[in-house]
Amino acid sequence: MRSATSMATQVPALQRWLSPIVWLTVLLVLTLGMGQLEWLFRLIEPDLRQVIYRRADFLTLLGQHVLVVGIASLLAVIVGVAAAVAVTREFGRDFLPLVSQLASIGQTFPPVAVLALAVPALGFGTLPIIVALLLYGLLPIVRNTLAGIDSVDPQVHEAARAMGMTPWQVLRQVELPLAAPFILAGIRTSVTINIATAALGTTVGASNLGDPIISGIVNGNTAYIVQGAVLIGLLALAVDSLFERLQRRA
Amino acid sequence: MIELFDVTKRFGDETAVDAISLRVERGELCALVGTSGCGKSTTLRMINRLIEHDGGEIHLDGQPVRAFDEVVLRRRIGYVIQSTGLFPHWTVARNIGLVPRLLKWPKSKVRDRVEELMQLLGLPVAEFADKYPRQLSGGQAQRVGVARALAADPDILLMDEPFGALDPITRATLQGEMRELQARLHKTVVFVTHDMDEALALADRLVVMHQGRIVQQGSPVDLLREPANPFVESLLGGMDRGLKEAALIQVSEHMLPLGPRLLASERIPYGASLSQALSVMLWHRVDRLTVVDEEDIPIGELSLRRLLGAKVP
Ligand SMILES: Nc1ncnc2c1ncn2[C@@H]1O[C@H](COP(=O)(O)OP(=O)(O)OP(=O)(O)O)[C@@H](O)[C@H]1O
Ligand SMILES: [Mg+2]
Repeated sequence: MRSATSMATQVPALQRWLSPIVWLTVLLVLTLGMGQLEWLFRLIEPDLRQVIYRRADFLTLLGQHVLVVGIASLLAVIVGVAAAVAVTREFGRDFLPLVSQLASIGQTFPPVAVLALAVPALGFGTLPIIVALLLYGLLPIVRNTLAGIDSVDPQVHEAARAMGMTPWQVLRQVELPLAAPFILAGIRTSVTINIATAALGTTVGASNLGDPIISGIVNGNTAYIVQGAVLIGLLALAVDSLFERLQRRA
Repeated sequence: MIELFDVTKRFGDETAVDAISLRVERGELCALVGTSGCGKSTTLRMINRLIEHDGGEIHLDGQPVRAFDEVVLRRRIGYVIQSTGLFPHWTVARNIGLVPRLLKWPKSKVRDRVEELMQLLGLPVAEFADKYPRQLSGGQAQRVGVARALAADPDILLMDEPFGALDPITRATLQGEMRELQARLHKTVVFVTHDMDEALALADRLVVMHQGRIVQQGSPVDLLREPANPFVESLLGGMDRGLKEAALIQVSEHMLPLGPRLLASERIPYGASLSQALSVMLWHRVDRLTVVDEEDIPIGELSLRRLLGAKVP
């Protein structure tokens, strides 16, 4: 493996990180310079007085978007990996079928429904969207962590025990490192989905890049919709290419 | 010393190991043979408590295995399996150094030990230390597996078909190395194999199992000479037993000094076995061979008559 990858590692760092850097740059430039593109959006909506969303600046919206997704994803990783690890231990085996079933079925549950259920319980604002994203983002992480742990060769597992590793050492030094590529893929799916889903937060009173979209729909302003959608799309692309890069290293 | 007293293991309704008693002396290599599913691996795994036994007692040097903390116990026992179970994400050197690191040896001591073992097992450090298991051939991986088991210098070694997945030539090489290793290190070894020739060649004590029970145990020669029942007889090779026994005897033990007669034209190395000598005689249709040393210098002769009179000492 080392000799195979040594070729790749000799490629200059800049080149390897090129695609995430490009996407991030485009995202930032557009976030800061949206106002300069007024002429462009005029082409879309020639009859409206205002074609650039101004209720909040895009940088703040982007920051809030990233923050909400970041917090929800971080919690989802912690809870998801912990849950998958717990049900694959001796003491938690009984719950394995239940949890793995939930993880695969839960994905078919639409995010709007999760959000609709979260609001009555948690009220309006940022909290329900974080909870909804957390729950929704949990599923791919749990499912992939389970698959990753399951992929560890039983003989490798037996050898680890036979050499006198403690259960904790087997987990930390054997199972998790071998499951890492799977877990990372799960996090990638989870985060990318959540970047898009977070836009729904606007409907329950959390402000983020979903705001221009919802406002555009309500006021019939396609330019607003495009602005929000393009930034969300760029954010998703940037984060996704970052993960792609990380996965190739793992 | 390993002792099993009436050890039993059940999986549900099935009794995988049924009241077996066995004693492996210090420095002895005990081979477990028997048909598939007869409980060999289960027996092995009960010794290092990968599986807990349901009945009877297992003692190591007079102490019940249950008296040890299982982690401590396993670090004192080497374990080698057919699939090697090497960690795919670790280099060869890191794999071999696993148990010493678990035992918190100082770094430099671990490194020295790893290098020592790689040399012992014919794995040049410069070439192999940084390789990953997937870059190794089956035979090399198996050597790494043995090195890992020996790393913390355990007194006891458990080996479950360690050379099972290898081609005959690599397997024979590793068997030879195993024999030399055992002659030097005097480990107490329990060795599971399906290959009867391997068992006969390596074992001090041969244990035949059938359906969870021990059918017969003793030295290879005893079992070959006096199999307890038709099952043992057929397992040990049936009509081939004569050849299997001859394979245990070296030509050098039965050759005669060079006589006044002309040298026989066909030669055999003095380290070869009597079954090989017989094969050479059959092949060339001769009844006399010249025995030669490593430099191909004649040192004696072996006749068919002499060979037929040969008995295991
Ligand atoms: N963990 C387990 N759970 C249930 N049954 C088991 C388990 N391990 C072994 N057995 C059963 O116990 C019996 C003995 O198995 P074992 O692996 O000891 O056989 P073996 O002699 O090593 O066979 P082989 O030569 O094929 O490796 C078999 O019938 C097997 O199905
Ligand atoms: Mg077996």
